[in-house]
Amino acid sequence: MNALHPRIRIIWILRSAIGALLLGAAATGVALVLDEPLTIPAGLTVLFVVLGVIHAIFRYRNWRYVVGDDAIYLERGVLTEIRTEVPLVRIQHVDSRRSAFERLVGLASTVVYTAGSRGADVTIPGLTPDAASDLRQRLKGLAIAAGEEDAV
Amino acid sequence: MKLAPASILYRVFQKAGRLAITLVFLGSIGTQLSLGPPLLFGGVAVIIAVTLAYELAYYRRFRYEFTEDTFDVSWGVFNRREREIPYDRMQNVDISRNVIQRVLGLSAVNIETAGGGSTEASINYVTSDAADHIQSEIRTRKRAAGDDRADGQAGSVVGDAETTAGDESAAGDERVASDRDAGEIEDELLFEIAPSELALAGILSFDPRVPGLLFALFTGSVPFISPIIPQTDSVAVLLIVGVIGFVGLILISWLVGAASAVVNFWGFRLTRSPTELRYERGLLQQYSGTIPFDKIQTLTITDNPLKRQAGYATLAVETAGYAPGQATERGSEAAVPIASRDRIERLAAEIDGCEMKPFDRPPKRIRRRYLARYLLGLAALTGVLYGVGQWLGVGMVSWYVPLVGVVLAPIAAHYKWLHRGYALGEDHLITRNGVWSRETKRVAYHRIQTVIDTRTIFQRRWGVATVIADTAGSLSLLGNDAAAVDIEADDATTLREELRARLQAALAERRAQRQRENASTATPDAEAAASAGDEIGESTADNETEKSAAIDEIETPGANDETENTEHE
Repeated sequence: MNALHPRIRIIWILRSAIGALLLGAAATGVALVLDEPLTIPAGLTVLFVVLGVIHAIFRYRNWRYVVGDDAIYLERGVLTEIRTEVPLVRIQHVDSRRSAFERLVGLASTVVYTAGSRGADVTIPGLTPDAASDLRQRLKGLAIAAGEEDAV
Repeated sequence: MKLAPASILYRVFQKAGRLAITLVFLGSIGTQLSLGPPLLFGGVAVIIAVTLAYELAYYRRFRYEFTEDTFDVSWGVFNRREREIPYDRMQNVDISRNVIQRVLGLSAVNIETAGGGSTEASINYVTSDAADHIQSEIRTRKRAAGDDRADGQAGSVVGDAETTAGDESAAGDERVASDRDAGEIEDELLFEIAPSELALAGILSFDPRVPGLLFALFTGSVPFISPIIPQTDSVAVLLIVGVIGFVGLILISWLVGAASAVVNFWGFRLTRSPTELRYERGLLQQYSGTIPFDKIQTLTITDNPLKRQAGYATLAVETAGYAPGQATERGSEAAVPIASRDRIERLAAEIDGCEMKPFDRPPKRIRRRYLARYLLGLAALTGVLYGVGQWLGVGMVSWYVPLVGVVLAPIAAHYKWLHRGYALGEDHLITRNGVWSRETKRVAYHRIQTVIDTRTIFQRRWGVATVIADTAGSLSLLGNDAAAVDIEADDATTLREELRARLQAALAERRAQRQRENASTATPDAEAAASAGDEIGESTADNETEKSAAIDEIETPGANDETENTEHE
């Protein structure tokens, strides 16, 4: 079982912090309009940032993936634990991609697409760029080797 | 090939009609514009002229064509598009004609593949004969394409380089010809709706969305009808008005549901050819379509207490062809609206060859969770109503009404548990869910895309988990996958691994079977027999029941090939 790169926590924390700040800004606006003390929005923002940090830490701890002989297995989730098996024969195509945040901390993700509806795209975040493109190449090779004429 | 000339007329009628209505509407509300009759008629005339020109151009540009491996469509006036759809990737081919189209002798043909958000090829409109021709031509060519592909694989397996190109094309032609003969064999009737069943379908179809819609409509018109409502504080009068309103609401929605069911499923027939299912239905708007057996994803059998009491059920056949937007309209096109339980089960078994097995239920303790959930829901509803009542002034709202549900909650919780379950069949995963409307879903192992095991924080507290077998079916886009909900956590882990293993085994078996059959038939001498052999090969790989049909079919036109082949060997 592989863990993600530890730096992924920075991305998650950043993302939730931005969300918390936006929320805080909105709450500040409301407080100003209602002429309420600004301690409430400030407290809310801090609370959400702290929650975001805790969530990110647990999320990192719970994230596991492994590329097996015939399937990719992923385990993740804090409140709801999700375990997914993606059979290699079902892979339609594989992306590796880097968002602005990911480039900032030098990480990348690999996204695996299937024809399914619910688990149609499975993202493995927190990979180094090299690892992401290696994984993409490897999955591509495995998917072709597993071969099936019509994956639907 | 082009569209039917009459389609120009219909399309102009359709489009100009819509535009003219918009214009009239704008004219009637636009007070400053003050469109007089001459201006209005002028406007309508211009609209008709412009649409006519556009539709003429559309007609001139629209082409469809059958090529060796693909069905090609090119269309577009301003933006031109050319599309090629491989025959063996097609999921459904549907034909529909409404009343006006029938008068004009037109039909709309829609071709679906698994990809994309919308219908991949909409041919609006061709003559009804042409539509039938498209459907049968695609069927024939699809089978030819399937055979060619199988031959290609066989060639690579055996390493047979002796077959010359000439031989191969000759064999190919022969094959297409024999398939055409096969296509003309009368389809076997699987199901035909009886008048009593149609009537029942109407009576039992109660669309829960209709009361909601009507309610919204009525509450929206409260300011207008409130003068009619007697202004009284007498509880009795209010109660009577309420009861009458409620009964009326139910009655109207029931009638609407009944009428739409009867119109939709008028003359429903399901027939079977060796490779595909065919359905026909509809009174005002007629539909017919084909579903290849090897594209079927899931079968869903639905019933509710009313239907169960009367011994009836509903069957839906799902493919990956429909986009979410379309799926919500009428759901699966090849749904048997209602038939007696054993008739449905026999039909379903004939389609997917799945046996019924006893279900494994979630642990009994989970009933307490459901009960708690229902009670919490009721408490929340009561609270909200009470709050609204306080806000509007007490007495306006009977906030205590939901509390009646407290009596029903234990029953509902029990049935929720009772109806839940899963079973691992020979080739299928079978799951069942639903309190009121009970759904049994059957997914062949080789159709599973991913296996997802989820445990919410509450489920972990109860030591249970949910396992979902995701398929490429269309209804599952709405979150309707086959799911074993709230089973013991350990069982969930086992089930997840089991499903993965069974998927791999099923795929390996299908592959091995194909190779075996190709290897046994693709000797140079037996090339002629290859087509016959492949037909068996394709069918057995798909399901058991189909085999007999394919063999029957071969015994008639291809009997000579078969005997020749055995002599050689």
